[in-house]
Amino acid sequence: MSNGGDCKYVIHQNAYIKLVLHALNHKTSAVNGVLLGRLSGEVVEITESVPLFHTSQIGLLPPLEIALITIEEYYSSQGLSIVGYFHANERFDDLELGSVARNIGDHIHRYFPQSAVLLLDNRKLGALRNKKDAAPIMQLYTRDSSKSWKQVESTGTSRLTTKEPSANIVLLDFISSNKWNEIVDFDDHLDDISKDWLNSGLFK
Amino acid sequence: MVSKTEESLLRQLENQVENGGGGAWEYLSLVRKLKLRRSDKVLKHGLILLNDPKKRSALGPDEWTLYEQVAIAALDCQCLDVGKDCIKVLQKKFPDSKRVGRLEAMLLEAKGSWAEAEKAYTSLLEDNALDQVISMRRVAMAKARGDILGAIDWLNKYLEIFMADHDAWRELAEIYLSLQMYKQAAFCYEELILAQPTIPLHHLAYADVLYTIGGLENLQTAKKYYASTIELTGGKNTRALYGVCLCTSAIAQLTKGKNNEDKEISKLAAAALEKDYKQISPDKVSLLGSALKTMKLQ
Repeated sequence: MSNGGDCKYVIHQNAYIKLVLHALNHKTSAVNGVLLGRLSGEVVEITESVPLFHTSQIGLLPPLEIALITIEEYYSSQGLSIVGYFHANERFDDLELGSVARNIGDHIHRYFPQSAVLLLDNRKLGALRNKKDAAPIMQLYTRDSSKSWKQVESTGTSRLTTKEPSANIVLLDFISSNKWNEIVDFDDHLDDISKDWLNSGLFK
Repeated sequence: MVSKTEESLLRQLENQVENGGGGAWEYLSLVRKLKLRRSDKVLKHGLILLNDPKKRSALGPDEWTLYEQVAIAALDCQCLDVGKDCIKVLQKKFPDSKRVGRLEAMLLEAKGSWAEAEKAYTSLLEDNALDQVISMRRVAMAKARGDILGAIDWLNKYLEIFMADHDAWRELAEIYLSLQMYKQAAFCYEELILAQPTIPLHHLAYADVLYTIGGLENLQTAKKYYASTIELTGGKNTRALYGVCLCTSAIAQLTKGKNNEDKEISKLAAAALEKDYKQISPDKVSLLGSALKTMKLQ
């Protein structure tokens, strides 16, 4: 298997929720994050995530390089690698995967060929309260043999699922308690190194 | 840009107000003064003030400023009815006011009636072509509609007239960055450094952009601007310290270590980072060490 052509992606609840809460913490700007995990047969298990940036830093290399080097160091000791990238656009109705996201995805792809790019679907996020849906509110993109990121359609058996079926219910719960205020991202850490980008206390 | 003292005052007031400790008017005034976007809190606490007739009359003439502030916050939170009500009150008090006219146009924007909002702004500008705020709304509208190239166009036209508006230059730079038009972003930061040479954030942003564009000359210049950021911030800027290390590593990689580069500064930066982490974030010190090692080995 040399590309993400047939892989399935399973994202753990905590990793999933962290990314959405990060987006909610910065409603007026784009945000991004990295996905960490491992490949088990034909399934990429996304067990962790780290929220990265929420400012115009998203398009700049230096903070990204520092973040990736540091994150890779930390998680490789746990046997996890960077397996993908998450992006949420600035505007509500913008469902396009922009060039910054594609470029970062390309970079990650070089080290992990089965990598995925996840794009937050704001409309699904908005509809979550009314429509009880267990499917993740993100669009899945993989790189096929044409070397470009293509969206994977979610018809039939979905290739992106949350490990815990009740993940969206837990997410809604956190949203109503304004849990997003507690999320720390790498931008926050670079502005104040006492802030923990690991968010170790978040789900305790 | 908010200073550290202003930021801690803001956080203090915010906590106080959120926990029922009063001080709503001080908080709202500070948000107004610093031109911050805290629409959900402004809406919540502003409405409490406005709906209490005693508190409202205690504000005197500031009552109308509060109506305006709450109206804009309501539009930002998509509470269009609240926005409409506030605007109606202002219309009654100030009929034929251009300032209220702007709010009416913003209501149209919030509703998504772009063409009508466009018409409203154009007519407002006919009477006063040099109205900065309304000219800015046109940029904001283009951005909200996803017409990024249109936003760039309008913003460039705006800057031809109001070239001293630093926030506008920064906005333009950020739009260019989102489109990965790094050279154009660099130009904006150059303008900002010329206009405000002692603001470290401009030096830092410029250095980041130059590093991103890449190439030996840019990396060397970036290193100089990270250094000036460090100087302007008394060595307290983590991003600049990291930046110096990244530049040294990247330059060494490009020249295969052949040029006589000044490695002293990156050694100093690395030491400063280690000292800071030991003091403030000790559990991450070893991580920092391995990251720095990775950069030197590259």
